[in-house]
Amino acid sequence: MITWLLLGSLFCNSQQDGDFKDDGVYRCEPQNLAFSTLDNMILLTWQDDPSCMSVHEVLTYELEVLVADKLTHYEEVTIKAGQIGSTHSWNWSSHLPFECASHKVKLRSRSGTHKSQWKQEQTIPAGKTESTRPEVYPRDKVFEVGSRATFCCVLPMDQAFEKLFISGHDSKNWELSNISSQVHVLTVDLNRASTTSCTNIICEAVNDKSRVVDNGACAYIGYRPDDRDLTCETQDFQSIECVWNVGRDTHLARKSPTIYEFLGSRCPEGYNGRCSHKMQKDYGAMSWTLTAQNKLGTVTLVDWADLSHRVHMLAPQEVRVSAVNASDVKLDWEWGVKKYGGLSMKCQLNISDGETYAVVERVGDGLNSVVFNDLIPNWIYMVRIRCGTSQHFWKWSNWSSSVEFHTLGDVPEALDVWMQEKGSQTIITWKVPLANQSHGDIIDYEISWAESSKRQEKERVLHPKHSFALHLNTTKDYVVSIIARNQYGKSSPSTITIPALNTGSPKVKWSRAQGSNGGFNLSWSANPIASCGYIVDWCPRTRSCKIDWLRVPPNKTHVSIFSKNFTEGVRYLLSIHACTQSAPTLLERIEGYVKEKIIQDGLFKILKWKQREMDVEVSWNPVAIQEQSAFIHGYSLYYWDRNSSVAYVSTDNPQATSLTAKNLQVNTYTFTVKAITSVGECGATSINVTLNSMTDNLIKAVGITLVTIFVLLCLIVVLCYRKWECIKLMVYPPIPIPVLKDKWPTPLAKQSSHPVFVEMSHHTEVELMAIPELQCKSEAPSKVFAEQESVSSSSTRESRNHPVEKLMTLPCQSPLLPLSPSLVNNGHLNPSFNATSPNSATGSNGYKPQEKKGYSKEVAEKPLPCALTYILVPALPSE
Amino acid sequence: MADRRSGLTGPPEHRRTTPARAVVIAELLHLESSNLLELYRKRETFIANVISGDSRLVSVPPPSSQLDTRDKLWRLQTALLQCRGLMERAIAKEDEELSTEMGEYKTLRKMVSDRLLYLVNTIGEVIKAMDGPALVTPSFNDSLEPDNLTVFEMKLWVFRVFIEVDYWAKTAETVLQALPKERVKPTRLRSTRSSHR
Repeated sequence: MITWLLLGSLFCNSQQDGDFKDDGVYRCEPQNLAFSTLDNMILLTWQDDPSCMSVHEVLTYELEVLVADKLTHYEEVTIKAGQIGSTHSWNWSSHLPFECASHKVKLRSRSGTHKSQWKQEQTIPAGKTESTRPEVYPRDKVFEVGSRATFCCVLPMDQAFEKLFISGHDSKNWELSNISSQVHVLTVDLNRASTTSCTNIICEAVNDKSRVVDNGACAYIGYRPDDRDLTCETQDFQSIECVWNVGRDTHLARKSPTIYEFLGSRCPEGYNGRCSHKMQKDYGAMSWTLTAQNKLGTVTLVDWADLSHRVHMLAPQEVRVSAVNASDVKLDWEWGVKKYGGLSMKCQLNISDGETYAVVERVGDGLNSVVFNDLIPNWIYMVRIRCGTSQHFWKWSNWSSSVEFHTLGDVPEALDVWMQEKGSQTIITWKVPLANQSHGDIIDYEISWAESSKRQEKERVLHPKHSFALHLNTTKDYVVSIIARNQYGKSSPSTITIPALNTGSPKVKWSRAQGSNGGFNLSWSANPIASCGYIVDWCPRTRSCKIDWLRVPPNKTHVSIFSKNFTEGVRYLLSIHACTQSAPTLLERIEGYVKEKIIQDGLFKILKWKQREMDVEVSWNPVAIQEQSAFIHGYSLYYWDRNSSVAYVSTDNPQATSLTAKNLQVNTYTFTVKAITSVGECGATSINVTLNSMTDNLIKAVGITLVTIFVLLCLIVVLCYRKWECIKLMVYPPIPIPVLKDKWPTPLAKQSSHPVFVEMSHHTEVELMAIPELQCKSEAPSKVFAEQESVSSSSTRESRNHPVEKLMTLPCQSPLLPLSPSLVNNGHLNPSFNATSPNSATGSNGYKPQEKKGYSKEVAEKPLPCALTYILVPALPSE
Repeated sequence: MADRRSGLTGPPEHRRTTPARAVVIAELLHLESSNLLELYRKRETFIANVISGDSRLVSVPPPSSQLDTRDKLWRLQTALLQCRGLMERAIAKEDEELSTEMGEYKTLRKMVSDRLLYLVNTIGEVIKAMDGPALVTPSFNDSLEPDNLTVFEMKLWVFRVFIEVDYWAKTAETVLQALPKERVKPTRLRSTRSSHR
């Protein structure tokens, strides 16, 4: 047993001695090391020592990278049992250019606890320069935007570092360090692509003569290809056209332009996003691959499809018009690809007249002609065509070139006729045919009308007049027919029946409508009598009405009306008529504004006010519709004085013409009347009013009465003063001295001139006629005359016609005194008074008062103011 | 620029002479080359010291006070001709190696190059009017050929070309402005005198 143990121990020792060299170094180590660099990458290959074949455990290689003698990277490479004996490789990219610092790679093997010695490979010594200027590395290298780059500046021995920077980048993203006094490193996050060809990295140093020395390097900062959305198709069934979106600019067009390969072939103009390739087979599912590559990366795009589903037809060629009529046209075209002849296709025809267009689609095999119908006669059209496969439609072709054609002329379309009652006239009006309705040049219109039982009358109206006034019997129905005529002939007639005036027709419903968006949206109840639809007409209520109308089909009971003539703030009257086989029937009237507007201030031209006790009623005239730019729903009255706040009364009655402010104080008030509308209170008009108290009014009335009485009294006093002699004579007449004669008393008949004073009322008319009239005056004649004229109307016409002097210059003397003949003769006496003398019964001017009975009567009825009485004057004794 | 241009316009009789025209062209060239240099400096964030040493791209005999006017003009013409050659090569190199989209810079670069040639020809006319030799042939220093350079070195070389052009434009302006007045004769008179021979 012991022997076996010893033998085993000996075997084990001998085995261990085989893995180690004589100096105890592990025998399994790397050999045939090959070191190389590519750009910033270190490539290392090696082989296992033959002794490694006996390693039963995992064989591991340890690698260390020292940059500028500092351990920068450590890595282990594990060799599996089956790989031992083969050549191994390892690579590693340094962040620092090799020119900036020396790079050392150390390698050793490890198996279990056994490790070989380090084997070292070193790059060429770096970090030194023979140049007289700083050198910046790496040079002309391509970087991707977003990457982190390291640049170094290697200075000659005699120069001191000043700065190292990259143009166009913010220094916040920089990190400066130094490997040695001669090697300085700039690490920067590249977040901006090179705007010009490349980005400069500049190093600045100071030489031993204290002179600044600069140098630099260029870095190309850009993006990897960004191409996307590859789509392939065929146009001619012989080649494939692929298009894609080239995406973002790589900014590397010079240094590393993107190289495109399509189906393994170079695509020289791939930067345009387009590439074509000759087809290998006609149909069937295919895939197409495009690669876009630059130094920063590669993008692969793939598209897959059945090419028969990817037919992008070429545009039709040589489109031409082969036959033109008034309302149809035939178009022909050619195909540049023979295979299109049997292709099931659909074509779109875009026909336009410059303002509107329509697209018509036609389907067929190898379509190369089409007929267009329903065209407007005498009209210019432009047409173009595009086509695509009808089965597995992929894309429309491009539009063909446009072709213009002019359709032939034709008779006009039937006119749109309507009527308008204007007093006793009926205005027949029609819409002037538009260019697309006239089909030529309208010459005139022929109007014919007839009462059913009478002969038809005709009239011709020249274009462009489009209305005609008829004076018709309002008790009869009339049928009016209108025809338009152009150089190609007459239109079909349009008729309208004018109904007899029927006063017994039911009342028409009135309502209000509010406009919206510059027009009116109307709706109404369907009416069974509207067999041919409805007619909606409208015109402003505030202007001379030029009617406009719209026809609505029978199945429609709503319409939106828009007109360029609509004006905001103007009230329109809209009427809805039912179109019947006979005369149209008015169904409904609607008033409305397209948009209500604020009524301007000063709406109420005249504001009146009336005080009733301490209430004030403010009134105004009704507001005319023309002045209403909005519906008035009521009125409001604001009033205030200087001391109080504004008070307010209002009414909802739009017909109201007054409002009363109650319980006011004696003060000066301002009253403002406003119209209430849906756009607010507006049209404000104000007046200022000063209120009086009722006591004041009483005092005023009493004062006025007193003053009136005083004035009257004064007048009476003045009159009495002036007429005092007359009054005195009347009230206290002088008692005549009795004259005694021989025969006393004598009968009155014989002694006609006895001086007896008798009251006028005691005498008969005959007696009065028998005595002379006395007129007396005490003042200037003209003045008295004026008084007589103005105060009394009792003067006779005859007396007024007498010369003033003759009437007025008579002094108010006692009638009992005899008159001197000289006075009588000089004309200053009333000739009538001259009658006292029997000899002078007829005056010098022939005046004979006693002969004019009427005169006496008139005088009796209207006594002269100063003729206080008729006095019997006794006849003077003739001497 | 406007002020400078306005200062260039002399009296009409001055503008009619070839030397006067040369002065105007030189002034314009100097203005444009300065602008080009400034534009390039800004675009590339170059500082003045990026060009080291005193080596010049244009090689001509050194200036001397003993040179007469005709020799001075000949020296100037030679330098400008070399500048023109350098400009052409700089433009070609840039278009080949660097970006294509340069807008205003590209326009200005072409303008300077064309103006250089125009000034060379005009100075040739002035020399000819002085009974001078025919147009000189430029000679280049081959060692200055911008081959095998890094992009940055090529940019530096272009920058040096622009500096050189600016320097010689300024020199031309100075030399031509300093021409003796008696030399300034109308072209027509000079032609007449030539025809008498």
